[in-house]
Amino acid sequence: MPFERLRLREIRKTSTFRLTALLGVVFALGVAALLGLIYALSAHELTARSDRILQREAARLQAVSAEALPDRIITEIRHNASGLTLFGLQSHDGTHIAGNLRVSTDLGFNRPTNIREKPGAHGPLRVLAIRATTGETILIGRDIAPIVDLRHRMLALLLASGAAMVVLVFGVGFVLSLAPLRRVRDLQAASREIAGGRLDRRMPISKRGDELDLFAGTVNAMIEEVERVVAQVKGVTDAIAHDLRTPLAHVRGQLQRAITLADTDPRIVRLAEAATADLDLVLERFAALLRISELEARGRHAGFAVVPVAPMLAAAYDLYEPLAEDAGVRLNHAAAPDATITCDSKLLFEAVSNLLDNAIKFTGVGGDVWLSTEIDDGFVTIVVRDNGPGLAAGERQAALRRFYRGTEATGIPGTGLGLSVVAAIVHLHGFDLELGDGAPGLTVRIRCPITPAR
Amino acid sequence: MARILVIEDDHDTAGEITGTLRSHGHEVVHITDGQRALEHLLCEPFDLATLDRMLPGLDGLALVASLRERRLMLPVLMISALSDVDERIAGLRAGGDDYLVKPFVPDEMAMRVEVLLRRRQESTDTVLHSGGIALDLIRRQATVDGMPVRLLHMEFRLLEFFLRHAGDTLSRRIIFEQVWGYYFDPGANLINVHIARLRKKLDRPGAASVITTVKGEGYRFDAV
Repeated sequence: MPFERLRLREIRKTSTFRLTALLGVVFALGVAALLGLIYALSAHELTARSDRILQREAARLQAVSAEALPDRIITEIRHNASGLTLFGLQSHDGTHIAGNLRVSTDLGFNRPTNIREKPGAHGPLRVLAIRATTGETILIGRDIAPIVDLRHRMLALLLASGAAMVVLVFGVGFVLSLAPLRRVRDLQAASREIAGGRLDRRMPISKRGDELDLFAGTVNAMIEEVERVVAQVKGVTDAIAHDLRTPLAHVRGQLQRAITLADTDPRIVRLAEAATADLDLVLERFAALLRISELEARGRHAGFAVVPVAPMLAAAYDLYEPLAEDAGVRLNHAAAPDATITCDSKLLFEAVSNLLDNAIKFTGVGGDVWLSTEIDDGFVTIVVRDNGPGLAAGERQAALRRFYRGTEATGIPGTGLGLSVVAAIVHLHGFDLELGDGAPGLTVRIRCPITPAR
Repeated sequence: MARILVIEDDHDTAGEITGTLRSHGHEVVHITDGQRALEHLLCEPFDLATLDRMLPGLDGLALVASLRERRLMLPVLMISALSDVDERIAGLRAGGDDYLVKPFVPDEMAMRVEVLLRRRQESTDTVLHSGGIALDLIRRQATVDGMPVRLLHMEFRLLEFFLRHAGDTLSRRIIFEQVWGYYFDPGANLINVHIARLRKKLDRPGAASVITTVKGEGYRFDAV
């Protein structure tokens, strides 16, 4: 199998990649939830601690007389070496009386509140306002910058670890998907060869014994059985054809000798000639049956090569043009564009010959047969079209079966095996065969992938 | 008369081959073993050998390959039940000159022997003559009684084949294989119309055709 690059789109679709990505996402969500919980508990604890300090300070200041409050607040500030706790005293109308805390916002009393104001060098504050006995407002603030910092760090940690995890998950998913995808590719290549008729081919099995190996082993057992049955059928077909052909060939030889004897009665000669013609038809059918059996049972690839289509079709035209002319049919051939395909040229020539022979036979005097090619999207299609009676839509698939003779075939000589031979050859190559409406007549198309000439 | 070695281990088939060849006036020696056959061919003069593929002693393919290695170029007709096209190709590649699949019509076998014997005697002349017909292989020209006749490529090859085997009865199958180079049965009518076209170009008005139809067998080119 030629090496094919693994595409990102294919890797993205693998179960391994999807499973890795899913587990990664679940893990990331878990980590985020854990970090969130740690943050919430820490923040709650720090806030509660701040609130307890605020309440304690408030209780102490509330007990101080109104006259002593400004001095006491200044004293508290002086004793507060860390600078984390702030104090303020405001009059009824909000005028600042003393302390290092000034708050312009209206705060509710006895309920700690977060404010963003930054008096001096302090960060965000949690402030508790209480009413002094004389009506002034005592403000006690606590710097909550550590809590805000903690939240910021947690968020940054979450984002950084999340980004790293996304990269890691996709990287691991990509790497883990490569090996199974390569193995699936190998299995696909093997199955394509098997489908193309190489029944001796087997699915590759690694030493891992994983689910792909189990599957490949099951398929191999199935193919082995199919190969055995096909060989048996081929053997029976060949044996019947050979065993019957031998005596028939002898009979034909004896009839020929009888005809050539000088004193044979002319009436006997006529009968012997008629019998010979019938035997020829039977022998022709046996030969075609053996040919189909040979094509279907074996992956015959020894004759495969990259060949140009145009000379092959030109040779087929040269071979069948006299036959068409003799039958009163115009055989039209449009020079094929330059395209090369991988095929057994002798077998494909045989298929095209069968199609031309059929088309000429069924078209009738005055009709036309066209041999042409179409190139489209990396494929070259060999087209044989006629304007004869054609095949009804329901008959087209049946026409590929052995011995099938269409309703229009009455009185026209033939074995009913020509299209079966074509189908077997096309199948062997892995090409597409399509029988369509020629409007009027029949159009047969063989679609072959183009192989660039080396 | 030619001296022919029949190498065949099946007695019925051997009897059929030897009987037919003797009835055509040939001297026949029959051997059943491949190794002994090789020794006979190396020691005695033969004009042709018919060779079975599957033989005791030495396989048919190995035998013919040994002959060709020793530059013994006598014509070899391989006769085998192995009918696959790949087997035929293998037989011809090993050095066989023709390949006939069992079961066969004895007369066709005799016909193929005649073709091979005639091919051996082919002259190296560049102009083939028979009766009033001449074919110049270098100039690619054909003449009938000195008058030029235009022949298409395959008509030229068909006439060359007939001239090289003038007097032999040639089956349609042999003609198709040797002239067109394909090994499938194209139907009798296809060869008939090609012969009819050639006849039209070669035959003299009012005279018998130079190519005679042999009923049930094929065609024969007669030097008139």
